[in-house]
Amino acid sequence: MGATLTGRLAAVARSAAALAIATAIISIVLLALGASPLAVFGDLWRGAFGTWLAATDTLVKSTPLVFTGLAIAIAFQGALWNIGADGQLVMGALAAGAIGPALGGWHHPIAIAAMIAAGAAGGAFWGGLAGWLRARREVNEVISTIMLNFVAAQVLSWAVHGPLMEPSRSFPKSVVIAPAARLAFYLEPSRLNLGMLLALLLALGSQLGLFHSASGFELRALGRNRRASAFFGIPIARLTVGALALSGALAGVGGAVQVSAITHRLYETMSPGWGYEAIAVALVARLNPLAIVPAAILFGALDNGSQAMQRADAVSPVLVNVIQGMVIIILIAFDAAAARGMRAAFFGDADAAATANGEALEARDV
Amino acid sequence: MLAATAITRRFGRTLALDRVDFQAYPGEIHALVGENGAGKSTLINIFAGRLKPDRGAVTLDGAALAGGSAHAALQAGIAAVYQSPMLFERMSWEENLALGGFGAGTSRSDLAGAADRARILATRLGFSLPPAGATVERCSVGERVRLEILRALSFDPRVLILDEPTGVLAPAELDAFLYTLRRLRTEGRIVVIVTHKLAEAIAVADRITVLRQGRVAAVRLPTETNAAELARLMIGDVAASAMTADGPSPIVKRVAATPNVEHDAPALVVKNLILVNDGRRLLDDICVSVAAGEIAGVAGVDGNGQRELVEVMAGIRTPTSGGLRVAADRNAMAVIAQNRDLDGLILDLTLWENLLLARALRDRFARGGWLRRSRAKAFCTDVLDRYRIRSAGATSLAVALSGGNRQRLAVARALAGDPRVLVVHDVCRGLDLRATAEVHRRLREFAAAGGAVLLISSDLDELIALSTSLYVMTRGRLVAVAARDRDAERIGLLMSGAAHS
Amino acid sequence: MFEALLASTVAMATPILLAALGELIVERSGVLNIGIEGAMLVGAFCGLAATWFSGSIVLGLLAACAAAVALNALLALLVVNFAVNQVVAGTAIDILALGLTGVFYRQWFGVTGRAITIAPMRPIALGPLARIPWIGSALFAQSALVYLAFALVPIVALVISRTRYGLELRAAGERPEAADALGLGVYRLRWQALMIAGVLSGLAGAYLTMAYSNTFIEGISAGRGYVALSVVIVGRWNAWGVCAAALLFGAAIALQFGLQAFGTAIPYQFFLALPYALTLVVLAFMGGQADAPSALGEPYLRS
Repeated sequence: MGATLTGRLAAVARSAAALAIATAIISIVLLALGASPLAVFGDLWRGAFGTWLAATDTLVKSTPLVFTGLAIAIAFQGALWNIGADGQLVMGALAAGAIGPALGGWHHPIAIAAMIAAGAAGGAFWGGLAGWLRARREVNEVISTIMLNFVAAQVLSWAVHGPLMEPSRSFPKSVVIAPAARLAFYLEPSRLNLGMLLALLLALGSQLGLFHSASGFELRALGRNRRASAFFGIPIARLTVGALALSGALAGVGGAVQVSAITHRLYETMSPGWGYEAIAVALVARLNPLAIVPAAILFGALDNGSQAMQRADAVSPVLVNVIQGMVIIILIAFDAAAARGMRAAFFGDADAAATANGEALEARDV
Repeated sequence: MLAATAITRRFGRTLALDRVDFQAYPGEIHALVGENGAGKSTLINIFAGRLKPDRGAVTLDGAALAGGSAHAALQAGIAAVYQSPMLFERMSWEENLALGGFGAGTSRSDLAGAADRARILATRLGFSLPPAGATVERCSVGERVRLEILRALSFDPRVLILDEPTGVLAPAELDAFLYTLRRLRTEGRIVVIVTHKLAEAIAVADRITVLRQGRVAAVRLPTETNAAELARLMIGDVAASAMTADGPSPIVKRVAATPNVEHDAPALVVKNLILVNDGRRLLDDICVSVAAGEIAGVAGVDGNGQRELVEVMAGIRTPTSGGLRVAADRNAMAVIAQNRDLDGLILDLTLWENLLLARALRDRFARGGWLRRSRAKAFCTDVLDRYRIRSAGATSLAVALSGGNRQRLAVARALAGDPRVLVVHDVCRGLDLRATAEVHRRLREFAAAGGAVLLISSDLDELIALSTSLYVMTRGRLVAVAARDRDAERIGLLMSGAAHS
Repeated sequence: MFEALLASTVAMATPILLAALGELIVERSGVLNIGIEGAMLVGAFCGLAATWFSGSIVLGLLAACAAAVALNALLALLVVNFAVNQVVAGTAIDILALGLTGVFYRQWFGVTGRAITIAPMRPIALGPLARIPWIGSALFAQSALVYLAFALVPIVALVISRTRYGLELRAAGERPEAADALGLGVYRLRWQALMIAGVLSGLAGAYLTMAYSNTFIEGISAGRGYVALSVVIVGRWNAWGVCAAALLFGAAIALQFGLQAFGTAIPYQFFLALPYALTLVVLAFMGGQADAPSALGEPYLRS
């Protein structure tokens, strides 16, 4: 795999094949549950794209996945395993939801900018914290980001039950944000909003940053060979904190957009697990920012359609979690098999693997 | 008898071994010589069971060897000791040996038993062992080699294969090693030694098989041949006439060092460099200064602080005290590390991206934070051309390069950044004679043009041929070698005089 | 009061300890198993479901172990045979487990608001020991699984550091190529470690639904699997350290309820977040990877 066209096409083919196999396995699971795969897939499709409203809603549901997917992709490119996009999104939402009510007298574009900035700051803080713990204290970022997820959930809960709670105190939700801070809907009754445009722009920006900037290069080098990167003076500590902060910021912006466009206030739960779903999105997209967009739409469609699926076929929408997990597993297994040959994959044969790679003889000497 | 018949083995498109026949008899020390890339390592990997031949068979005392499993080969009676260490560093040496054939119990008391059995064998072979309970991490390189040999012997093998065993031994340890080999011979074992040091092969072996480009070029008795002939057999007549087994061709002109550069300020100064780690002085008050046009050679057996010195020079290790000064800006020094696959190249990146790892080149092609991709790619294509690196182009991945070409790329990268100082560590390890000569030539040209080179190497021939000033590194200390002492034997004494035993 | 807290600490430490002991063995063999959380979850659910359908606690425990072992087998196939990235594989397993348990829970038991309950495992009082003042009932009147967990600590410690098997396991975690060259069988060792960890994780999950409480809620493991990961690190990869760390985090979780009962002005969310925040703080001071097995987390393909 590599920078060549055939390499890229092969990667896309692998993603497609993984999805196909996942579909097959899901069908079996559905049959075991007593549901009809055809009916379920039909309902999924109808729920996701059946009507104009459904289709736009699919796009709306995909937007947070673009933000978190980008967050994951950037972190993973540096081999920084950010499993905490959920917590970072929540902190971004929290920051936005906290200042939102106070933006009443502000000029609309400035208010929106303030919301976005708050989201980025909240998420960057949460991600940067994990980055700092990794860079300075050698704390495994998988554990720290997951722990921060739990902590963030409690901070949010405290906020909506306490200081930010709406005046009537009847339900755990925060004060509603000022109208100036809300992203408007276009083509009503659809919920299309400019946050989606922002997501696209950030995807573009991430692509540029990752592949056309010096820091992006250094991050990708770090993710592939830490020792060599250290040897050539790549600033590992700085990159670790920066990349995780940037990753958090992206997720945080996603949270802010959610608040600004969709929920207009904070609730006890702001994310149905987007941060984890984003891992599947990022892997399907091969960690490529531009490919995140179609991958996010795919999973957004699944999410949207799953509610129709629940109504029609009484299958729990949690099934999408199963799909996500399976897609990841199949994808990474495929990649391994492709890189090493099927036989090597099952029986472990580095020799055969080397042959499959056509490694020249001298490369194996010494 | 260990016999191989018509062994053939490919890697992708490369034919590593082509119908190779081989015989070794009990009570024989059999040397396998050849250039790097000739197939020596592949052949012994097949003997030791790590690789399977595509065609042909290996038999031991008539019984066929099922290939592909190191364990099966061990049980059949073939044990191998490789160049790269296979010991468990964090465990004690007793535990390491217990994992060999010495220990088979399930409680600590058997660990002591294993250690006892090991001691008996070691005494018989003339070895000394590390202190009780010492972890392998703390053992010297020489001790580690001996531990590995002990562990291999613990399986009581009929065949012992040693891959370049003397590379890490100081000259004084060689005698003890020879004694061990001869003892093994009297025990009736078969010893196969892989080496590229022809003089050693002639001195030690009972028979010598020469491999060239995957085929058996000849089998000789040491009494009826000499180093020159072996060299000729190894690399072919025409090429051999331009080179001898002792180093690069005398035809290559020694460029007189008359650079148009001021001599006053040395290009590289290392002053009172001390590195302490875990209570041990890894670098002990190192002082050296290298002038423009000078090639300062640092001789020494691996493990005496060379790696740490290189890491300090590369800036990834902070010394406890002291420091270094380079004449120009920070990009004026390029460092080529010993382990190119770990510290040199990023195999999953393209060739042009690998070039950009060098800070000097990154600065050049990443101005203002933005990568100038097309310019960098064009530059890479040019570099590939100039240094004759065989590849699939600037946008191909580094993993596809052969070992020799990878090293060429590393050298090209270091030089392409226009450095004033070059620090290289074992830069020609694993390269065949032709590639080695090429690298040596570039180093000489670099020095002639006013560059300064710090040449750290364990290859005495290379050091004697190239260095204008010579040092020996032992136990973290740097000792200057006077001009009159510059012969292999004397340097060897200096190296071993203070070396670990 | 103190006794209740101590009892709670020991009880809360138990699932973490069981899972962490399993993870210790696995990490010593060189594998970083992020999927503990998933294994605990399927153990919790399948244990409860099997008990509910069959009426037998023993069958429930067996089912819990079997389910967790099956999940770990999938992980083993991925990280040992296919040598994929262990973090990604483990996370995928967690997501998968969350989904599978959720789907099957709702399918079999419906979302009726009525929780599925079973008759839980009764605590077993160890005779006169249980009557010791201050600590008796806390330490010696606990569920059988608790005794098992703490009894395993010296056993695991012994096996790892003093037996031949432990030696081979550690070799696989230090330098798999060398271990394979010696014929130790790295794949076999890592698979075995993951299977053992599966049994332990299954028991850990079963404890949550069959002993400590008597029902299942989605996501009941609540991050304990990840805490177990931290426990191995803080315990410096040895069984006694793991035991101490598990008790520390058990205390943090127990404090959750204890301090809440005090009715302080501190909001309850603080206590809910306490174990996770504490994990972070402790790791910040003790999270160094210096004592980790050298080959931990690196995909290894045998030749």
